[in-house]
Amino acid sequence: MTEEEIRNEQEIIERSKKDAKAFGELYEKYFDPIFNYIYRQTDDEELAADLCSQTFINALNNLNRYEFRGVPFSAWVYKIAGNEVNKHYRKNKGRKIFSIEEVKVIELVEKAQEGWDEELITKLIDFMKNLPTDMLQVLELRFFEDKDFKEIAFILDITESGAKMRTYRALDKLRKNFNIKVKYDE
Amino acid sequence: MSRNEIRLRRKRLSTHGSDRFRNYGFVLKSHEQNQRLKKILKVFTFFAVILIVVVLMIILFRWETRGTHKTPIENSEKIQTIP
Repeated sequence: MTEEEIRNEQEIIERSKKDAKAFGELYEKYFDPIFNYIYRQTDDEELAADLCSQTFINALNNLNRYEFRGVPFSAWVYKIAGNEVNKHYRKNKGRKIFSIEEVKVIELVEKAQEGWDEELITKLIDFMKNLPTDMLQVLELRFFEDKDFKEIAFILDITESGAKMRTYRALDKLRKNFNIKVKYDE
Repeated sequence: MSRNEIRLRRKRLSTHGSDRFRNYGFVLKSHEQNQRLKKILKVFTFFAVILIVVVLMIILFRWETRGTHKTPIENSEKIQTIP
């Protein structure tokens, strides 16, 4: 996101603090990514739509408390969305769902020698089921939402080094267990 | 038992698949309701505080006046008991 885009967004936010109708522009811009982010964690369109609406209502209700902290406004909305999802799982006491697109998994991991097969994908999914939830959250934000570590840290309320550590630990586990190259390796 | 449930989706999420759920009117309406509720709560709190202060002042005033009425009676009783 360029500096000019961030400045434009700040202007809209300031306008929205006085007139809620102005927030519509940000709603239109972020509805899809936030909906998809919630959908990936619920795998239920109706539920994702409800939680998404609640996210934007909360954002609008608390807009006066928002202040720029070096991350785009979207990170703040993602944080609210994450809290809404967590609240839903706490209330319903269910296991957390991660609905992952097969294409994204293939994009993320490239097998060293052979091509992809169903068996490997199944094994990988089984392995991911047993990864700690916090590691999965970091992986999701980093690779499926394309967020940088600063934004991830803000969204999950952890330090930037903590976000990096969680990601690298999860990737190390993947490498050790599957002998695969991860596309986003730095 | 596994910690999380991972579901693999063959279909990619489309950018416009969520369009039928897009409804800013609903968000705006809920926000306005919330603001109205906050205003009512503020007014209610304001009057509740005033009411508490007034009640406290009345109690204090009564306690003071009762105190000033009692002292001369006690003194007169004391005078009468002196032989």
